[in-house]
Amino acid sequence: MKLGKIKEILEAKVIVGASLEREIRMICACDLMSDVLSCVQSRFSSLLLTNLIHPQTVRTAEIAEIPAICFMRGKEPQDLTMDLAKKNGIVLLSTSFSLYEASGRLYKEGLPGCSEYREAK
Amino acid sequence: MKLKELVEKFDLQIQCAAHRLEREIKGGYVSDLLSDVIANGRAGDLWITLQIHQNIVGVASLKNLAAIIIINGRQPEENTIEKAKNEGIPIMVSKMCAFELVGRLYNAGISGTR
Amino acid sequence: MTPYVKAPKIRELGYELKVRDVMDRNLITVQPETPMSKVRGVLRLNRISGIPVIDKGKLVGVICVEDLVNWLMARADNCSVEEKMSKNVVTLYTDEPLIHAINKLEQYGFFHFPVLERENRELAGTITREGIIRGLLKKLEIDYREEEIRHYRASHVFEDMIADKTSLIFQYYVVGQDFNRAGESASALKKTLKRLGTHPEIVRRAAIAVYEAEMNLVIFARSGEIIVKVDPNQIRIEVEDSGPGIPDIEKAMQPGYSTAPDWVRELGFGAGMGLNNIKKCVDEMNVTSTIGKGTRVEMYVATKKESVSYEVKGTG
Ligand SMILES: Nc1ncnc2c1ncn2[C@@H]1O[C@H](COP(=O)(O)OP(=O)(O)OP(=O)(O)O)[C@@H](O)[C@H]1O
Ligand SMILES: [Mg+2]
Repeated sequence: MKLGKIKEILEAKVIVGASLEREIRMICACDLMSDVLSCVQSRFSSLLLTNLIHPQTVRTAEIAEIPAICFMRGKEPQDLTMDLAKKNGIVLLSTSFSLYEASGRLYKEGLPGCSEYREAK
Repeated sequence: MKLKELVEKFDLQIQCAAHRLEREIKGGYVSDLLSDVIANGRAGDLWITLQIHQNIVGVASLKNLAAIIIINGRQPEENTIEKAKNEGIPIMVSKMCAFELVGRLYNAGISGTR
Repeated sequence: MTPYVKAPKIRELGYELKVRDVMDRNLITVQPETPMSKVRGVLRLNRISGIPVIDKGKLVGVICVEDLVNWLMARADNCSVEEKMSKNVVTLYTDEPLIHAINKLEQYGFFHFPVLERENRELAGTITREGIIRGLLKKLEIDYREEEIRHYRASHVFEDMIADKTSLIFQYYVVGQDFNRAGESASALKKTLKRLGTHPEIVRRAAIAVYEAEMNLVIFARSGEIIVKVDPNQIRIEVEDSGPGIPDIEKAMQPGYSTAPDWVRELGFGAGMGLNNIKKCVDEMNVTSTIGKGTRVEMYVATKKESVSYEVKGTG
């Protein structure tokens, strides 16, 4: 699913990033970064949904090659987080939904989590 | 929906407080940040988390949450179970990851908004 | 950051960098009419092995140590540079990729070439082996020690560069408890490995492993360092800290075990998954620790093509 479509489903706002053309193949809903690192398996096509707006979230995405992050409950990160995202070409979105609601909505639209993605492959 | 129905439907392993499964679930909340749950969790919520530390029980009890589901098949620490028993907070374990479990709960009618 | 280099090769950079990026702009030249007796002094003073000969702004030849030696041996009378210089000069243009310079240096066995501006063919600088190596290292953001370059004679380094044999060592110092900078080493290493042309999946696995180890260092220790050795067949990573040590390593390796304090959990760490993630990403891992002294995590990632796994191994 295109990132643009996901933005619509989550009624999200773009905080950093220009293009929403990226194809997203799996979703990871996590707040603990080690969990993110063990969950994400598809380079360049995962979306991270998280409550954590700390710069380490973007750092983790950079390391794991996650192209996009969506923050929850309308949270917007500090400049340091945004700068890091810009530098690494990572798209940042923000939705007013909770992590639960956002996950539910995307799952309903057919996007898989990490184990379903692995099985499908 | 009642906790009891969930246990069967989603293959949850009950860790403690099995006698408190009659409670009606009002909604769901996912977070691994305790401060976030303290700020935004609502009474009657089902809390989905990866945290297994005993502090989760304190938070659940403070916010009067319905139950805690620990994901990725993680086993809660012993003193977490001990504390939850005392507080009467049901803890359950699911093998699924947060996104997949929430997706199914959501499809079963447990919403994140009220 | 004080990594040092044993024998670099970085072919991709050879295409990315241009001759002008690494050439020496310090122009030392002589005229055709300069007497041969003066050449020796100029060479020695500037510690160079050849001098471009310029006439009215145009390069007309090169006079080098060999020409000087021949002239001295012949015990001939003093004469002008013009009579002894090589007139068929092999040159490079400022806008050529560096790889051309590397290839030409190899092909002719020379140590330096004059570099010309393409538009007006005027002399713009000279290019040397040492200059090339220095430029490559700078581009990789590797701080090198001058003596290393001299120690491993430039020609030796060059052979390795051409032969595609690499053995690079990088070293990063990490400050504990500094969350804003945590992960910078892993990020820097990732970029460097990419530039070295390492397989992307290998880069990712190495980066995740280093990141987890670096985060542990930042969270649990005061300071430490990361040493990475990149060989043709494997990447060896050593993360060493002077922290409190791990009492029970076997327990620490279990997924979910964590002693991270609350403030760390609020920053998204402390799932107790870090060491486990490292194990899944590397081919071999050894943890050693002494209470009160520190912890050392050693990891190996094989980089040979046939051993590339295209996925991080499934969750445990
Ligand atoms: N460098 C270290 N110095 C001292 N103790 C360490 C070090 N690295 C790990 N440990 C101990 O091992 C435990 C497990 O480490 P691991 O990286 O697996 O999990 P974590 O760091 O607690 O959480 P996560 O990595 O998921 O954020 C830590 O909680 C800590 O007790
Ligand atoms: Mg860790």
